[in-house]
Amino acid sequence: MSPTAALRRKAAAYPTLAVGVIIVTIVLLITLTSPWLAPFPPMSATPDVEAPPPDLIDVPGLLARAILGRLDKPVHWFGTDASGLDIFSRVLTAPRTDLVIAISANAISMVSGTLIGLLCGFYRGWLSELVMRISDLLQSFPVLISGMILVTLAGRNAGNIILALGLLYTPIYVRLARVETLSQRSRGYVEASRAIGLREIAIAARHVLPNALAPSLIQASVMVGFGILMTAGLSFVGAGVRPPTPEWGLMIAGGVDDMIQGVWWPSVFPGVAISLTVFGFASLGNGLERVYAR
Amino acid sequence: MGTRFRFVARRIVIGLIQLIGLVLAVFFLIRLMPADPAARLVGMNASPEALAAARHSLGLDRPIAIQLAGYLGFLGEPGLLQGNLGKSWSSGAPIVTEIKQTLPITLELITLSFTGAFLVAFPIGTLCATRPGGWADKGTFVFSLFAGSQPEFWWGVLFIYIFFYLLNVAPPPLGRLDPLGSPPAVVTGFITIDSLLAWNFVALADGLHHLMLPVATKVFVLSGPMIKMIRQNMVRALGSDYILYAESCGLPPRMIARYALRNSLAPALTLIGVLYGYVLGGAVLIETIFSLGGIGQYSVGAVLNFDYPAIQGVVLVITAVSLVVYLALDIAQVLLDPRVAG
Repeated sequence: MSPTAALRRKAAAYPTLAVGVIIVTIVLLITLTSPWLAPFPPMSATPDVEAPPPDLIDVPGLLARAILGRLDKPVHWFGTDASGLDIFSRVLTAPRTDLVIAISANAISMVSGTLIGLLCGFYRGWLSELVMRISDLLQSFPVLISGMILVTLAGRNAGNIILALGLLYTPIYVRLARVETLSQRSRGYVEASRAIGLREIAIAARHVLPNALAPSLIQASVMVGFGILMTAGLSFVGAGVRPPTPEWGLMIAGGVDDMIQGVWWPSVFPGVAISLTVFGFASLGNGLERVYAR
Repeated sequence: MGTRFRFVARRIVIGLIQLIGLVLAVFFLIRLMPADPAARLVGMNASPEALAAARHSLGLDRPIAIQLAGYLGFLGEPGLLQGNLGKSWSSGAPIVTEIKQTLPITLELITLSFTGAFLVAFPIGTLCATRPGGWADKGTFVFSLFAGSQPEFWWGVLFIYIFFYLLNVAPPPLGRLDPLGSPPAVVTGFITIDSLLAWNFVALADGLHHLMLPVATKVFVLSGPMIKMIRQNMVRALGSDYILYAESCGLPPRMIARYALRNSLAPALTLIGVLYGYVLGGAVLIETIFSLGGIGQYSVGAVLNFDYPAIQGVVLVITAVSLVVYLALDIAQVLLDPRVAG
């Protein structure tokens, strides 16, 4: 069987995985290459204010000329907003805020949460009980509201959003790693490692950790999607990054007043972008879960 | 009955400890943050004296232990222990009054959204469970994966564009009632209930009309995870031994479905608990888009204004409400399935 046929068969067996991988790969590529893809600087205004996107009929012609490099002036593919900022360039640049925040926050919480969960699962005692109660407490409160309080009072910038989300998401990974550790530690290989005289810490780090990691990695894919929603939600209510940072939530919020008057493009394009992106991460998470459960 | 009672009592005690812990944690946490509410109050170009005066009037120049004592009500003035949450730093109004106005709006939104989502998700989830793997099941799966991942603020905005601007069947997203109409007298704060009490059907219709889009948005987003969980519960219930037994006894399908239903009801209650925090967080966004003036929108204002007493009040009330919700769910669960308490 050729590699492409094998790939096709795999994609047919796990459609959500395939959809997720495709969307997430595209988003990652856009994130990496947006400075070269964006026709306008995303943070400086152009003289065209609230210019609509080109008519659908004209798009193929314009696209052909753009590819051949025969455009008289760059096109506002998605139109411009009330300040004359090019929406296409901003939609492409936004994942540099949204995705970077979501991934960094999850990296922090996954590393710390897995470590804490591993220790709590391996050494059970009053301290691990206390840690679990604290993480219950953190989880019991609506994440968006705690995020809002932390970010606004610490100062509204990307770094603080990463720290706040990193803190708020840690309990999720603590719980996952702990449950998995508890189930792993009673298995034969742990017993066997003890029998050959390995130290407890070595067993935990070298043998239990790799086995307990899978659920956290699957969860991470879903959580990156949630992280994007949080980042956008925070700036949507005015508690996240500041304008004119290109960020999907800010862009949607900025276009709401236009939208009520029929100027749909400032909100719709970032809305579709975030909608597809988070669906991609949810789909990837679901696909990984199915592969792992088999 | 003894174990049941102990179970519930234990939950109440744990919940109260959590509540106290959270109130204290929030009190210290917001004061450890680098934000400066006094500077926010007097503006950018204030003199150092004005800043100091503002700091004094907010009580921020006192040691933090004294501030806590004042907040709790040990310094003569009524505080938390007397049921007083203090005055808002931005509006000057008592926070209890402000929360009394805003909380019912949110509870109304959440209750209607949960009911709506359940009414949508229950038949769909059940239908999918009767034929797992069929085309209806697959289509529903894609829908619930999609809906469950979506940003509700974006769908709220989109619904406004479609149903207000294009189709003109929804009111503008500018509040809970038509500003030109006559609102019902406030009795409970729930506009639906108050207008019924006042026999004011115009206000009732208007209130529901204004809730149409916010509830539709929440139902859309909520139905995703709800369908998924109801389907799983139903599949599990239908595949269990007692259903097999009922079938082999030759009971009619209608009766079997009733048994399965009762047993999948308990997990459905857990579901409300799981989704509750998520829904409350989402209420912040929905209330902001539609200017509903609920506690979610109030908390945004409190946070953005560095209004510490209001932030503390909001955290306290939201936690207390979820405590009551979880407790009610636990009790219902024990009543439905006594094995839980054992």
